[in-house]
Amino acid sequence: MNEAMERSLSDLVMERVGFGIFVLDRAMNVLMWNRFMEDHSGLAAEQVVGKSIHASFPELPRAWLTRKIESVFQLGSSAFSSWEQRPYLFKFDPDRPVTGGVDVMQQDCAFVPLTRGGEVMAVCVTISDMTHVSVMQRESEEVVARLEEYANRDCVTGITNRRSFEARLREEFLRWQRYGGELSVLLFDIDQFKNINDRYGHTVGDAVLRVTAQRVANAVRVQDTLSRFGGDEFALLLPCTSLADAMIAAERVRSTIGDVPVEAHGVRVRVTASVGGAAARPGLPAYEVLIHEADAALYSAKRKGRNRSAVLA
Amino acid sequence: MRGNIFTEEQRDALQEIANLAMGQAAARLARLLDAFIELSVPRVCVTGVNEAAQTLREMTGFDQSVTAVRQSFRSDFKGEAFVICRSRAVGSLWALVNDPHIYLAYQTISQAELILDVANVLTGAYVSCFLVQLNRAPIFSPPDLLGENIAFDDFFRADLLAWRVAVLLEVNFALENHCFRAHLVMLMSEDSISRLHGALNALLVSV
Repeated sequence: MNEAMERSLSDLVMERVGFGIFVLDRAMNVLMWNRFMEDHSGLAAEQVVGKSIHASFPELPRAWLTRKIESVFQLGSSAFSSWEQRPYLFKFDPDRPVTGGVDVMQQDCAFVPLTRGGEVMAVCVTISDMTHVSVMQRESEEVVARLEEYANRDCVTGITNRRSFEARLREEFLRWQRYGGELSVLLFDIDQFKNINDRYGHTVGDAVLRVTAQRVANAVRVQDTLSRFGGDEFALLLPCTSLADAMIAAERVRSTIGDVPVEAHGVRVRVTASVGGAAARPGLPAYEVLIHEADAALYSAKRKGRNRSAVLA
Repeated sequence: MRGNIFTEEQRDALQEIANLAMGQAAARLARLLDAFIELSVPRVCVTGVNEAAQTLREMTGFDQSVTAVRQSFRSDFKGEAFVICRSRAVGSLWALVNDPHIYLAYQTISQAELILDVANVLTGAYVSCFLVQLNRAPIFSPPDLLGENIAFDDFFRADLLAWRVAVLLEVNFALENHCFRAHLVMLMSEDSISRLHGALNALLVSV
């Protein structure tokens, strides 16, 4: 193969490769501009070559680009830029005219020294289209966010689950340990829920749980966390709340559950609940103790005849 | 077997090349960054895959988690370079961009981009000076932020690695006021060691 043919082959390759290639000298003049760059910028090689890149693209980050190019001339080794830090160099349309989803082509850039006899003659800049990777990454981030949401939610009632409640309680407990203040927890359950299940079936039982969760959720403050703790047991975390105020909330919870019977699947079910409350106080070693005390209080409410709220004596 | 991976002559040559590269890289970096950069005398050793993390801990003196950037380089032999620094020291890198021209260039970049840029410059300067001594012109992959808070043990998952022994070359860079120190570590594994032998022998014959 002769030299002319080799040259025409590399010209053809330049034209056809799927990424942008252009060459700059130290004064930022364009020496070469391939077809990818023509197609995406709308400027032909004849319009760009021989002029400063900034004359054709005044919007480019001038100082940043100068710095990149200068570092390649001085060090003789490549410089890079990633779409993850800097989404694009040129404001090109992404090659997704049909599927869309991204405004600007996401770009990885490499600034490669072209050397002859140990001296850097020019810098070759390559532009790789990373849009598909950015789209994939965004999609997988969305999936992870959705999975996290599922992992923290109870599938019957739609409120947060025990895992999420304990995480939230741990945080609030740490905050309370560090800064003081008040922090209370209520545990409540539906009186003789097993009887409801036995008498009306699980579909009605589930509906009772759902309605209970909805009613209580509507009766608490935004900063409170309501969770299904397990079975027919619910937990309510009340930050910045004294035990006395928590027990007022406990009565509100009890009446919002019990005042009106639950109607589900053609039956009216009278539902009552018992509530146990506990509050953080100096010397409390761990948040688990708070749950344990609220549970013991709930047990004492049951023993005293149900449909009431109690604290540990 | 580890001790005699290189002959004494080869080991001396390797150390000599590492030293020469250090001087050249320091000069280039000083010009580029407009700041005096102190480089330590490079340390060369051979490490097994199971001791690699411990070796890095000892060489750097960092026992907490670190900020690390990884980059591949290749000619006919290939390896990877890590730039490692204390996570909380990264902030002082902005000192490197205090010249007005550089300041303009950097005013819109994120900390991650700054770390990647500085790591790429250190690796590019040192590794290419090193390989040029062996008559090689290396090609680099883009730098890749391993993490801003990562443990040495996460660098090398021995169960996932195909090598047992590597040549490790360490040099550290400090800004003249010592507010920032970074370690550059080059690692080349078995299949590259034999090619490194060839390159060293060619060099020894030529002098």
